[in-house]
Order: sequence, then structure tokens, then C-alpha cells
Amino acid sequence: MIGSILVKAAFAACLLSVVSYFQYHRKGRQLYLTAGRTAYFVTVATVFATAGYFLSLILTHQFQYTYVWEYSSRELSTPLLVSTFYAGQEGSFMLWTLYLSVIGIFLVLHSRSKGYEPEVMTFYGLIELALLTMLIVKNPFLLVWESWPGQVTAGFAPTNGRGLNPLLQNYWMVIHPQVLFSGFSSMSVPYAYAMAALLKRDYRNWIRPATPWLVLGATILGTGIMMGGFWAYETLGWGGYWGWDPVENSSLVPWLFCVASIHTTLSQRKSGGFLRTNLVLAIMCFVMVLYSTFLTRSGVLGETSVHSFVDPGMWAYWLLIALIVVFAGLSAVLLWKRWKDVPRPPETFRQSFYTREMALFIGAGALVIAALLITAGTSSPIITDILHGKKSAVDTSYYVTTIVPLAIFIALLTGVGQLLWWNRANGAEFWKTLRAPGLLAVGTTLVLVFVRVSEPMVALFVFAAAFALFANIQVGIKIARGNPKFAGGSVAHIGLAVMFLGFVASAKYDRKETIALAQGKPVHSALGYTLTYTGYKPIDKERYAFQVDVEHGAQRYTVAPIMYYTSYNDALMRNPDIANMYTKDFYLAPLSLEQKSDSAGEQTVELKRGESKMVDDLKITFVDFDFPVMEKAAMLEGKEVRIGAKLLVKEGSGKERPVTPAKVIKSGEQRDEPVKLGDAWELSIAALHPDREAKENSRVDIGVRNLKAAQTDAAGQGDVLMAEASVKPFINLVWSGVIIVLVGFLVTIVRRGQEAALPAGVQAAEEP
Amino acid sequence: MKPKIIIGAIVVVGFIIFGSYSFMQSNVEYTDVAGAIAKHKKVQLKGAWNKAKESSYDAKSSQFTFWLTDDAGRECKVVLDGAAPNNFELATSVVAKGRYTDEGYFHATEVLTKCPSKYEAQPSELKKTS
Repeated sequence: MIGSILVKAAFAACLLSVVSYFQYHRKGRQLYLTAGRTAYFVTVATVFATAGYFLSLILTHQFQYTYVWEYSSRELSTPLLVSTFYAGQEGSFMLWTLYLSVIGIFLVLHSRSKGYEPEVMTFYGLIELALLTMLIVKNPFLLVWESWPGQVTAGFAPTNGRGLNPLLQNYWMVIHPQVLFSGFSSMSVPYAYAMAALLKRDYRNWIRPATPWLVLGATILGTGIMMGGFWAYETLGWGGYWGWDPVENSSLVPWLFCVASIHTTLSQRKSGGFLRTNLVLAIMCFVMVLYSTFLTRSGVLGETSVHSFVDPGMWAYWLLIALIVVFAGLSAVLLWKRWKDVPRPPETFRQSFYTREMALFIGAGALVIAALLITAGTSSPIITDILHGKKSAVDTSYYVTTIVPLAIFIALLTGVGQLLWWNRANGAEFWKTLRAPGLLAVGTTLVLVFVRVSEPMVALFVFAAAFALFANIQVGIKIARGNPKFAGGSVAHIGLAVMFLGFVASAKYDRKETIALAQGKPVHSALGYTLTYTGYKPIDKERYAFQVDVEHGAQRYTVAPIMYYTSYNDALMRNPDIANMYTKDFYLAPLSLEQKSDSAGEQTVELKRGESKMVDDLKITFVDFDFPVMEKAAMLEGKEVRIGAKLLVKEGSGKERPVTPAKVIKSGEQRDEPVKLGDAWELSIAALHPDREAKENSRVDIGVRNLKAAQTDAAGQGDVLMAEASVKPFINLVWSGVIIVLVGFLVTIVRRGQEAALPAGVQAAEEP
Repeated sequence: MKPKIIIGAIVVVGFIIFGSYSFMQSNVEYTDVAGAIAKHKKVQLKGAWNKAKESSYDAKSSQFTFWLTDDAGRECKVVLDGAAPNNFELATSVVAKGRYTDEGYFHATEVLTKCPSKYEAQPSELKKTS
């Protein structure tokens, strides 16, 4: 009740704020400005209260709320419990609203000092209003009996929740969505500024306050994209860091638009060009955020992706479409009306166009084309549905064939463009500056062709990236000697070049092999490595680490990929492990553990309490667990624990007799205490499957070993770990490249932030 | 101004053609078992893993074999080059990319598992957790 009221109150306050700010823009009466500002701060306060209340429901396990029941449980650690706040759609929209509010506080103050407050806050408030509408439609405060009326009696409170999907139970879940949504939120600021500029007919000056936000958005979203890639690579075991998945693409596309507009706004500040381009690009950044949200939240991609896209219901579906129509439509109308009004660039701009502005424009154009091609690919199910009436997705090869040529082009351009921009080169002198990086790049490429690279396209990519690297280092050093704050662009381009080299090496030259590792037996030359599976160790209640020694020459590593069975969805979860060797990663993804019991005369039977099963002529009945209360106390204290399985065993027509094989667990190590039946049989506990929710479903796996058969088959002993090993050369270049790009962005934020703080009309220090 | 527009138009048209060509090339049709058998070309076969039938991994040939049941309920043996994809057991449905062979099985080069980022909650589950 309280939650829904708070959301509606925030909506009302936000609506009042938008209307008042707009009225102030039209009428200029101080009252409207005060009302707009006050109402906005009330909105922010109410959003904070809503989020705080929502979080308190989660932390205090109020499972009568559908959302809390659906995503959390009592077993989760506090950070993960907090992360269930945004594990579902409703909560993630709330997180987005929350970040929008946080940024909004700064924006009110920032835009006020720039004289943009009423217009900027009209549009920014409109975005917040849209998200609050979503929260009214997809109410996170529904109670279970409201979610399923008639099926659940009012007042019913489950004692525990369903828990968080184990795929998400990871520290990345705590940080990654937060970064992504704060990135999406910062993208709204340039949009609000661009729309404000159109409304105010002030097409030149909005760029200065908007630029730091643009670069901030690119930095945060870029960090988020990288984290997502690292999460997929390091924990989810997707094998790579990028899979052109709709979810990944949907954060990449707005980022590309944002980066494109960072480039063209540079020219507007410097020489007054690209006024219309900048307005369109700043608007597109945000519209693409909305479109991406529609793609990944509406269920429209349906069955065509690795991710499952939950159908949010008819209302939310149409609301998502309405948001795109409203914001894109509003922008289009305003652009249309003002198009002729936007002043033409000055004569000086036209003169310099063919030397350096053009490189910027073409670079931005290439980024936009890349973004549009990716959007077309991601939207494939929609396009094919319209064309053929049947949904189908594009193969990831589509992205590779279309984006790689553009990437080569962009890499070359970053080199040429930087040299042009900083050297104001004319003919002869320009060619002179090209010489050093050009020769170095040719040299690098030749060396790599000699060593490995054979395909022309790959060689071209290597050349382009190497050229970009050397050219930008050359320019970067020169700039840093003058004013290090100006070197942000060069640094970002160096990072891009390093990243591209990393892409080529790790994606094109990775090697993969599926291997079977028998316990204790070294496997030689799996991709040139010697691997030995040494056994498994429990890490916590359900997870097991499978330890594999990796030897490569004199180097020794131990990797421990994780596999475990989860009752959340009755599935085997697998996490890879990586040995990082500076020049390459050795990546081991577990597939399964084959228990070689058959060949060793061992069979496993799964038994519930009271159940009996036959193994050859042996009848085994599982009576109960032998787990005294005292042992439970010992377990909690981390002491040695003994868990037994009380069995009744009858051999042939002999007498039934009780035996109790057991497992002893001490600080993570397990030891078996098997029981022998004469000299023919040995019984042990192969696995325990306690079911905390329904005790009657608890099961035990009993290993039955025929000792005579085992003697005759001495070779077969121990388990076999199936795993996929791969070597990813120079993958560290990818990560370090991304980090260098982000550092470049940060340098730029500092510079543009200081510039934006200058009083209007004062010309900032510029490059020569 | 004129040459700028012409060059721009050529570039844009060029990319539209290039983009749509790649788009058409890499668009692999989704189909069911009957469709895969009828077409005999590269398709994406959609269905669910039939857990009742045996699935196995052959370490020698590095192939994973399983049975797939499509929405129409028709079964098909699928042989995948490589090991069982990650989260295979978890998948609500799988998409096998490849072609139907004359030997009477679907030869897949890639199997995508559809991993629910979220599972639809059912009211019946409420009782389990209470």
C-alpha cells in the first residue's frame, strides 16, 4: 500500500514539476520556477523514500510482496540480498529512476548556473515521469494475493522466497547493473540539453555544459559494457567476452552514438560547425537507450536469443512503444520546426573542413553506421517478422562481416585524424608526420605476418590498429608536453588501438580442445599444456571446486573451475577458471564429472527414506540419515562432522543386517567411511542430497562396489573430469585497452568539466 | 555543397546495400523438425531437450548427441560438434544451428541454450516455499 502510494505521489510531483518548469519557460513568472524546482525536489525525495522502503521490504524478508518472494530468500548474503532490488524488471526500472533522481539533483544546480534550468528540467522531468509511469504499470509493490487473485488467499505470507537465480549470485551482480543504469541515466542529460537548446533557439552554447555529461555517460556506460564482458568471460563461462547478444548490443549502440557525438561536438566548440548534427546525435543517444530498452524488455525478441526475454504484459509492452514514440516524436517535431532556424557554420569552418573537421565527421559517421548496422542486426526478429511473418535472428557472423571493415576504417581514421587535428597540416608536412607511425605499423604487421597472421583482412586489421597506436602515441606525447589535460583524446585512441589488437589476437587465434582428465593421471599436450585433475573440494554448502594442475614448461598453475548442482532450477551450474599468464589466458571450462564407477565394479543407487533397491543380488534399504543434533552443532562451529546413512542390507537369501557408511567433513575436506560386507562388497556414500524444503524428498546416493570386480579391473579408478580447455592469446590487451580508453575519457571529463565551469562567453583554452 | 551530398549519398546507399546483403546472408531460418528435414539446408532448429532419452558425449569424436523435441512434438536426434553447451540442463529450450543429414540426424555446429534470466513464478510454488 505505502509503496504504491509513494510511486503515485512521486509521479504527481514530477508531473507538477514538468508543467511548472514549462510554464516558466513560456510565461517567465518566478512563481512557476519556484514551483517547478520545489516539485522536482519533492519528486526526488519521494523516489528516495520509495527506494528506501522497497529495500527495507527486501532486507526484512517481507515475502508477502510478490517481488521480494520472487527474487530473494533468507539464505542470501547481505550484498546479494541488496542486489535483488534490481534482479527483476520492476526493480531495475526503480533503480534507473533512482539514479535519474540522483543525477537530477546535480543537474538542477548545474543547469541553473548555465541559465538552462527551466528547459532542461522540463525534458529531464519528462524522462523521469516516463519511468515513474512504468513503475505504476509494473508495480514492484504487488502483494502475492494481488498478483494471483483467487489463487492465493489474502494475508498469506510465504516463510521463504524463491531465491536469486544462481547465475546472478555473483559479485558482478552487485555492481554491474548499477553502473549500467547510472550510464543510461547520464545519457538523458545531453538529450535534455539538446531539446532545451531547440526550445530556447540557442543552438551554440548548450554544447559546453552538455559535453562533460556526454563524456561521463560514455565513461560509465563503457565501464558497464566492459564489466558485462568480463562477467560473461570470467564467471558465466561463455568462453568469450563478447557474443553480439541483444543484451550486450543494447548497451553498445547508445554508447557508439554517444562517442560519435563527443567527436562532432568538439568541432562545434572549436569552429562552430555541425550544429544540427550535434543536436541529432545527442537526441539519438537517448532515443537509442529507449529503443534498446524496448528490445530487451518487451519480449519482442521472443525465442531468438540466448537470453530469455520475459513478456512484461500487454500494458508494459505498449508503454515501452509509447515511450519511443513520444520521445522520438517530440524530438522530431522540434527538430523539424527549428531546422531552418539553426545557423549555418561560419566561413572559417568551411575553409578548414577538408583538413581536419572532415576526419571528425567521417569518424562520427562510421560510428553511427556501425551503431545502425548493429541495431538492424539486433532488430532482426522484428524485421523478419514484418517481411516474412516469421521471426529469425541473424548469425553472429553478420556482425563480424559488417563491423570489422568499419573498425579497420575507424582505426586508420583515429591515426590520420589526430595527426590532422593537431598539426594543422598542409600537404607535404602532413605526409611527413605520417611517416614514422606508418613505417612502424608496416613493420609490426610484417613481423606478425611472418609469425602467424595469414589472412589479408586480419593483416589489414593489425596494420590499422598498429598505425592508430603509433600515430596516437606520437601525437599524445607532443600534447602531454604542452598540457596533459588535452591528451584525453589521444589516450582514448591509444586504448582503442590496444583493444583492437587484443580482439584480433584473442578472438582469431584462440585454440580450443575438449579433454577428459582422469583423476591423478596427467594428460600431456592439451594445447601444449600438461593437465592433472587432482580431485574436488567443497567450497560451501553446494559448490565444488575441481582442482586441475596446469603445467607449461617451468610454469605451474592450479586452476579450480566450479561445478555444482542447484535446486533452484534443477540444473548443473558451471563456472570456469582462468590461469592468467600475462601473454595469454589458459581457460578451463568444466563440462561434467564422469564417475568411472562402472568399470571399477561400482554402481550408484539413489534412495529416498524407506526406499529399497536391488544391486545385483544385494537389496539395499535406506532407513534414515545418521546425523545427531550434536553433529549439527559441530558443523556450525566448523568442527569435524560425521554424516551417516543407516541402511538395511540383504545379500541373496541371507539375513537383513544394518550398516552405516558415513562421510566425514572437516573444514572443507571430505573423507569417506565405507562399510565392507564380507570380502565381496563395499558400501559408501557417493553423495548426499538433503532437501531443506521438503524433508521427505531428501535422498542419498549409495556407492556399491564389487570388490572382486574391482580387483580384476585395477586400471579403472577415480573420476574423469570433462572440460574444455582453451588458450586466449593476449586477452590482457583487451582489458588494458578498455581501461586506457576509460582513462582517456576521465582526462577529458576533467578538462571539459573545468571548461563548462567557466562563465559564459569566456573562451576556454583550446588546442592550437 | 553538391559533391558532398553526392559522395554522402553514395556512401549511405553503399552501406545500406552491404548491410542488407550481409543481413540476408546471415539470416538463418528458424524451423521445426519437419521443416529441417524438408529443407536439407542450414537452419536453426528450435525445440526442447528430451531428457527422457539418452544423451552422451563421445570424447573420441568430440561430439555430443541428444534428442530434441520440437513444439509439434516431433523428435529428432541431434549430433553437435563439441561438448554439451554450458547451462544445457538449465535451458528451457534449445536452438540447434546446422543441417539435417542423409544419415537421419541433425548435424549441429552450434547449440544455443535459452537460459531464463528469470523464471516465471507460478502461484503453485508459493506453497513450496511456505
